[in-house]
Amino acid sequence: MARSEQGTAGRGQFAGVIRAMGALAAAGLAMAAGLLGALAGEAAAQSQPPALTRECTAPGTSTATESPLPNVAAALRRKKRIKILAIGAASTAGMGNVRGGYQALMLKMIKEAAKGVEVEIINRGVSGELAEQAAQRLKIQVGLTTPDLVLWQVGTNDALSYVEVERVEHAVTDTVRWLKEHKVDVVLVGLQYVSGMARDSHYQAVRVALRRIAQQENVIIVRRYEAMEILERAQRAEPGAAVDEFSASETAYGCMAQYVARAISVALFGRNLTPTPSPP
Amino acid sequence: MPRQANAVDFWRGFALVTIFINHIPGIFYERLTHRNFSISDSADLFVFLAGWSLRLLVGNPDRASPAYLVVRLGGRALQIYAAQILIIAIAIGMLAAAAVLLGNPLLLEWHNAAAVFYDPVPTHVGLAILTHHLGYFDILPLYVVLMLMAPAVALIDRYARWLLLPLSLAVYFAALGFRVTLPSWPVQGEWFFNPIAWQVVFMLGFVLARSDGAGGFARRNIAWLRIVSVPIVIAGALVIWNDWWPDPTKVPHPTLFFIQSKSYVTPMRLVQFLALIALFSATYPYIRRAAPGLVEFLSLLGRNSLNVFCVASLLGLGGQIVRFIYRGGIVADTAVLAAGIAMLALTAWLSEWRDRNKAPRAAVNSPA
Repeated sequence: MARSEQGTAGRGQFAGVIRAMGALAAAGLAMAAGLLGALAGEAAAQSQPPALTRECTAPGTSTATESPLPNVAAALRRKKRIKILAIGAASTAGMGNVRGGYQALMLKMIKEAAKGVEVEIINRGVSGELAEQAAQRLKIQVGLTTPDLVLWQVGTNDALSYVEVERVEHAVTDTVRWLKEHKVDVVLVGLQYVSGMARDSHYQAVRVALRRIAQQENVIIVRRYEAMEILERAQRAEPGAAVDEFSASETAYGCMAQYVARAISVALFGRNLTPTPSPP
Repeated sequence: MPRQANAVDFWRGFALVTIFINHIPGIFYERLTHRNFSISDSADLFVFLAGWSLRLLVGNPDRASPAYLVVRLGGRALQIYAAQILIIAIAIGMLAAAAVLLGNPLLLEWHNAAAVFYDPVPTHVGLAILTHHLGYFDILPLYVVLMLMAPAVALIDRYARWLLLPLSLAVYFAALGFRVTLPSWPVQGEWFFNPIAWQVVFMLGFVLARSDGAGGFARRNIAWLRIVSVPIVIAGALVIWNDWWPDPTKVPHPTLFFIQSKSYVTPMRLVQFLALIALFSATYPYIRRAAPGLVEFLSLLGRNSLNVFCVASLLGLGGQIVRFIYRGGIVADTAVLAAGIAMLALTAWLSEWRDRNKAPRAAVNSPA
């Protein structure tokens, strides 16, 4: 029952972390944008994915699995334009003074840096819905918006609602395969790190299940849980440090934007841009 | 005196209980509600019966003046708006309290609440103008828009009744064809319940409540309508059980004409809903005979639907928090369900008790 280790914390600390993360996100996204520009043939000099900003760099861990995004790459080559559909409970809460949150920031920076590449992000997040409901809505939105890439933040509501892991796994796997069949790339955004959930077996089971799906289906998963866990440990290790869980949560959104942008960048530098075959 | 139990109140009470259950994702009893065999769910029933009740609210068209109708229906819209603002404020407080007491910031992000806490300035504007909705608190904004339309509906009904349903259908198909909806703000997105599409459900309830016109046609032909409904309802159940949804990328244009979307209450859903009510409306007399206590109970809830709906929404959120604390499970689920239904009953009873006590006092205070 008890999942609180931090208790209540000051709100001011939260806001500060959020702003820091927003700045980090912006930097990471700018780098991602540079990559996209390169792919469009207008920034060919950039050949490495963007580095993460210091606040979001988690030593010793990869922030995302590396998998190709062949359909995004093909769209860039063909039309210098990509369309991203954001689904799930992804918050677009403001970060610092950036209205529209991490997605708006990502879009802005990509547009600034990747001249000639048109990037559109369509946000169709509905909070509270479980993976099964989101999966059904995701397919409808793919039919209506024809994206090249789906950015799917999934699992948190199922974890908080104690939905059976098998149900989550089935819904996500089925949907990832459906997207592949329909030539739409997907980036999964895994669960968020909160120390109070570190010992929650169900939360951890959902997290592991999402990683397993990403591995089996060879799709990118943004591992913000692992990254933020390491970052928080590092923060706690600093003398006199007081980690505010609430602000850390806001910070995580800023880093998430960077991780997503970096994951896309790495994939698009791709060594293997041939479409991933769908599993039998 | 509260009105006698009747079919409309009974089914509205039924819709309220199922909405309460469906608003607790993951609860065991969620798998027993009719959405597990029906394309449409309790939201369709709730909005349809709201339209039906509008007919009762409008009353005898010969008595009420147009100005009276506008004021009365506008006042109702204001009342629903006030209810939405109240329950949203309480819901935000519940999430914040749970997050602080449990030390878990994840709870601040539940149900689209993150923007409220992390980007409060524009989000509070969005809450006030109904462009920012919390998850599972998004039906009343639809109801507000429908009630804002209600004065025009009542006037058209009075002066050009024949126009009402064709106009509603034209707006509905235009919404589907051109994907017209209301945007959410400041978080980019769309209303979960698109009022421009959902008005057709409300309007069907309003039109079918009449004993003449389309309502009269339905009553005269209810026997064969029910026969036609049987295969539709069975087909809907098969679609659900076998996941036979049409592929949204492969249907002809306009896409929304051919797929299942709750936000746009697409034709597939609408037809199945009409078939469902045609069929199940036949069961009320039997239920009344077999379980009069159940009919009285659900009618009690249905008679006080706005109050009960508001409390059900908050109890739904409370139920989710309780399930989170106790990690779900059948014991917690049963406790949440039993306590929730008891609270809904108490809400309805208190509403009528207050009205009963108000009436004699008003009589005493009024001049002879």
